[in-house]
Amino acid sequence: MALGSQRRTELLRGVLDLCLLAVMEEGPAYGYEMTKRLRDRGLAIVGEGSIYPLLGRLERDGLVETYRAASNGGPPRKYYRPSSAGRLALALGVSEWRVARDAVDAVLAPVKVEVAS
Amino acid sequence: MSDFVEQCRREWRRLGVPDRLAEEMAADLASDLKEAEAEGVSAEELLGSSVFDPSSFAASWAGERGIIPVPPNRRKARRRPLVLAAFTGLAAITLIIAALLLLTGEPKVSLVASRAARPHFQAAPVPPTVIPPNGQVHASAAAPVEWILLFLAIVALGFAAWLWSSWGRSRPPVAPAQ
Repeated sequence: MALGSQRRTELLRGVLDLCLLAVMEEGPAYGYEMTKRLRDRGLAIVGEGSIYPLLGRLERDGLVETYRAASNGGPPRKYYRPSSAGRLALALGVSEWRVARDAVDAVLAPVKVEVAS
Repeated sequence: MSDFVEQCRREWRRLGVPDRLAEEMAADLASDLKEAEAEGVSAEELLGSSVFDPSSFAASWAGERGIIPVPPNRRKARRRPLVLAAFTGLAAITLIIAALLLLTGEPKVSLVASRAARPHFQAAPVPPTVIPPNGQVHASAAAPVEWILLFLAIVALGFAAWLWSSWGRSRPPVAPAQ
C-alpha cells in the first residue's frame, strides 16, 4: 500500500465511527447506504477499512439502534440509527476531533514544502 | 461474491456463531454486495482489503458484535507466545548452567583475588572490584563468566516475566455469547 494511502487509512480508522454516526444522523441507513454517503463526500473505504465490524462494535456498545425494513424494492435490510448514547458520543467525538484538527492544523498549516510532480 | 459470503458463513459456523445471527449477517452482506455490484462498485471498495481474507473479516465482524471473543491478529498471537517461551527457556537454561557452574566442581572464575593463606576455591566469587590492594591476584584474560551468566539470566528472566504479564494484559477479554 502506498504511503499516502496507508496514512489515510490510519487517519480514517480513528474517526470512522464518528463518520458513521454522522451519516446515520442524517437518516437511518443500511451498510451499503452508509458507504455511499461516505463516498459521496469523498471518503472512500481504503486499505483495511470495512464498516461492518465497526457497525458491530457500535451496536454492541449501544451507540446505535437497529431495525429491519424493506429497502427500495429490495430485500429487508438492517437499518442503523444513532441511539441517544450514540448522539452524545457523536457530539463529544466531533468536539474532540475539532480540537485535534485545529492543533494539527496549527502545526502543519505553515509548512510550505511541496512535492515536485 | 456469493463465494465470499459462503466463506464468511463457514467461518461463523466454525466459530460457533448462532445460526440466526450468522444468517442475518450473511443476508445483509449478500444484499449489500449485490447492490454494490449492480451500481458498478467493486467489492474491494465496499470491504477494503478484507475482500481478500473472508475468514478474518467474518471473525472480526462477529467479534466486534460481541458474538464471539474479539479475534486478535491470529498470526501474531500464535507467534508471540512461542518467541516468549523460547526466550524464557533460554534464560532458564542459562540460569541453571550458571548456578551449576558456581555450585559444583572447581571454581572456573578466571579472575581470582585471594590472600596467600586462603584456599583457592574460597576466593572464586570475589569480583575484581573488591580486590585488596595487597592481595595476591591470580588473573587471566577471561572474565568471571559464571557470575556474568547468572546475572544476565536473572535479568532476562525478569524481563521475560514482565513480557508475559504484559502479554496477558493485552489479550482481549472473552465476550459473552449473545
